[in-house]
Amino acid sequence: MKELLKLCGFTDKEPETELARIEKVFKRLGITDEDIETGKQRLHKYYDIDLQGLRKVFRLIIKELVNAILAKEDGREKLIYGFMCPGIDLLGSAFMTKSDKVFSIHHSWAFHIVIGCIFGKIVPVLEDAEKTWLKAGAVAHCANVKTIAGPLSMGLFPNPDMLVTSAYTCETSSKTLDILHELYDIPVWYIDHFKDRAITEYPGPSDRVAKLTAESIKRFVEKVQSITGFEIEDDLLIQVKETKRKLEKAITEMRKIVINSDPLLISSSHENIWGCLLSLTSTIDGIEEATDAINMLCNELKEKAARGEGDVEKGAPRVLAICPAGQTDPRLEYLLCEVGIAVVGIDFTMGEKSKKHSDDPYLEMALGSQQVSLELPPYGRIPLIINACKKLKVNGVLDRYHVGCRAVVADALLIEEAVKKELGIPVMVMEWENFDPRSYNHQQFKNRLEIFREMMIENTGNKS
Amino acid sequence: MNNECFIFNERLDTHLRNRPSELEEAKRNGVKIVGFFPGNYVPEELIYASGAVPLCLIHGGNPKPAETALSSVPRVICPFARALIGEMMLKENPFYSAVDMVVAPITCQHLRKTAEIWEYRGEPEVFKLGIPHQVYDGLEVNDFAERLDALKDKLQALTGNKVTDAKLTDAVKLYNRMRQLLRKISLMRTSNTSVISSMDFIKLNHVSFYADPVFMTEVLEEIYGELAESNTASDNDAPRLLLAGPNIAMGDYRVPELVEAAGGNIVIEEICEGVRYYWNEIEAGDDLMKSLAKGYLTDRVPCAFMSSSAGKRLEFMTKLISDFHVSGVIWYELLDCEVYDSEAYFFTQKLSEQNIPMLILEADYGTADIGQFKTRIEAFIEMVKEEVE
Repeated sequence: MKELLKLCGFTDKEPETELARIEKVFKRLGITDEDIETGKQRLHKYYDIDLQGLRKVFRLIIKELVNAILAKEDGREKLIYGFMCPGIDLLGSAFMTKSDKVFSIHHSWAFHIVIGCIFGKIVPVLEDAEKTWLKAGAVAHCANVKTIAGPLSMGLFPNPDMLVTSAYTCETSSKTLDILHELYDIPVWYIDHFKDRAITEYPGPSDRVAKLTAESIKRFVEKVQSITGFEIEDDLLIQVKETKRKLEKAITEMRKIVINSDPLLISSSHENIWGCLLSLTSTIDGIEEATDAINMLCNELKEKAARGEGDVEKGAPRVLAICPAGQTDPRLEYLLCEVGIAVVGIDFTMGEKSKKHSDDPYLEMALGSQQVSLELPPYGRIPLIINACKKLKVNGVLDRYHVGCRAVVADALLIEEAVKKELGIPVMVMEWENFDPRSYNHQQFKNRLEIFREMMIENTGNKS
Repeated sequence: MNNECFIFNERLDTHLRNRPSELEEAKRNGVKIVGFFPGNYVPEELIYASGAVPLCLIHGGNPKPAETALSSVPRVICPFARALIGEMMLKENPFYSAVDMVVAPITCQHLRKTAEIWEYRGEPEVFKLGIPHQVYDGLEVNDFAERLDALKDKLQALTGNKVTDAKLTDAVKLYNRMRQLLRKISLMRTSNTSVISSMDFIKLNHVSFYADPVFMTEVLEEIYGELAESNTASDNDAPRLLLAGPNIAMGDYRVPELVEAAGGNIVIEEICEGVRYYWNEIEAGDDLMKSLAKGYLTDRVPCAFMSSSAGKRLEFMTKLISDFHVSGVIWYELLDCEVYDSEAYFFTQKLSEQNIPMLILEADYGTADIGQFKTRIEAFIEMVKEEVE
């Protein structure tokens, strides 16, 4: 156990009480000695665990999960869980900074990393959710929603005092929360806006839609204020936003180092770790700690580049991948490296930043939330992907679609068509479940990726 | 459509057959045709008041368009949404080919993506109508009313006609009358005798989405009168069933047909898309646009895509079960409709507490599952019969 925690950035200086808390949580999550061994092996195999900055990031993620699971025992009186809810990381950090009686978390992200990526034990959680209304099979329910329903039905997390989601990101999440409310009587809140931007309103965010989103977020905060009794001032939100901006800047800087590297400095199996880090609802102190970890990592990556080291062979075909890296399973990303394909970018992280800004923190949040890839229709998303391909000088596109999410599924073939037509580079379309390790088919994926790699090499050769 | 009579009323049947050529003629005379996606969130009154012809694009059931769409979208997009995409690609359906603009309410992901794909392909013009997925108070009604104002502006620009209060009031009255008549016809089924079969009632609904509304209302008056006067009382002791689901498209009649053939009697439908929402009328207040917003958004039972809708729909369904003396529920969901599939579990649990059995059928527009459906429906009806006895 201590060895595993050391790999995850915990030091001998950690108080015994902290280690006891982790042990307690691991026990509650059913983590056995055998799982600890598996965890160590997976950390060594799938992650650049020698990087001290990465270890510190893992430490923060584990601590977030432990704090969430023990929140009630720690005396937190109100628990607020966000799910598929843009802005909840910022709002949650503000709630937690304001009061130590409240705990707010986008609880599934840290859970995915620890239970899924490190221990490889997410499947029983998915299966538990499937016993109820999120059945397996042709309907292809999103496994992300299973990772919210499963832990609650299994009693892994304490029942929250409020669950909040957005009704516009996807109605699968809002419907899941609707059923959770009906079955378990958990209070639910929905943030809403109209996802009806006209084609003429692109590429920038729509002021009209932003106004609605801001109003809706404000009402959620008012609701939180009514149940907690404290007030969230705009100044606090601005302060949290500024602190988070430093973290975002550090991650952007790190991605720039990786994008321009050859050999690829760090595999895309780490991408969901950065995503998780951005979604943590730590207090301001915690966000600063995360920023320090990423800055340390940037320096380590530069040193690694100077040594000429990388996770993929030098000169490997460069690829833009569609959709985030596997959230609960690093094997596909690892396989890409093994086959010799360098994923240098992911469309979800390549969104155009909003050029519009506002002094109103709610409006600022709302403006930003419209620009992410998931929120865009094909005529917004496809040009973004084409531009990213050009900018990254990729040799191909891995057009994997998360089958549980109809929003991304529906674009997959249009992306293929547009990339082939406009850029003339190979596209590999692949159905896959971003949150479900059972969708990983090693031999089939390996065969297809090898062919894809050959196609890219041949295509590049023909062009030159 | 084949040459057989589509609907039991000859005048309506003839009207439906002639409607495409009527629409072509109207277009030649400068009239605009405005299609819209089903779900009962687009105020037809507004389209009608602008001088355009509203058409609800409700064709489905035929596997060809749904399969054609597979070159544009993967299989997990629901068959109805794929049928819409496929119809646009095939350009064989005269109603779909006639439209100058489409109003796409942003309801479920499947229909939202369909609208976006139509927009991406460039024709016809699409107006996306945002629907609040959660209604807490008047804020959402105001927001929706603003979107309806934007739609009004768009329609005025398209048609060149001004939507006056007088025209809108007349349109509201006309559509209210249509809803009222459908409700009256539907309510005749609360008695123990069936005056109209579910198939006929669903088809009546489907025709109402394509027909001229003045003509439709006139014929509905006639049908209602005939049904009220006719001595159709029978000793029909078939189990009384409720048909629930997200969508029953024009042409997707396998389930009601199989139920009828197996000796079941569907006496009421709780369907989101494909059956006109007729339980409420628009209460025209001083601000007509706000009246429409309220009528379409809050004065009705919310569809499954709405955020907190399961409890409200269960309550409504329970009332229908009681009012229509229903003994069993047939839940027909389209393959890959994850929202309805989530709710199926909840409804099964809650209805079983009321001793109402529920059969869940999940299908696309293919024919491979007909045999399995037949067996399951027959077994279910037998079980309901035994429980009733």
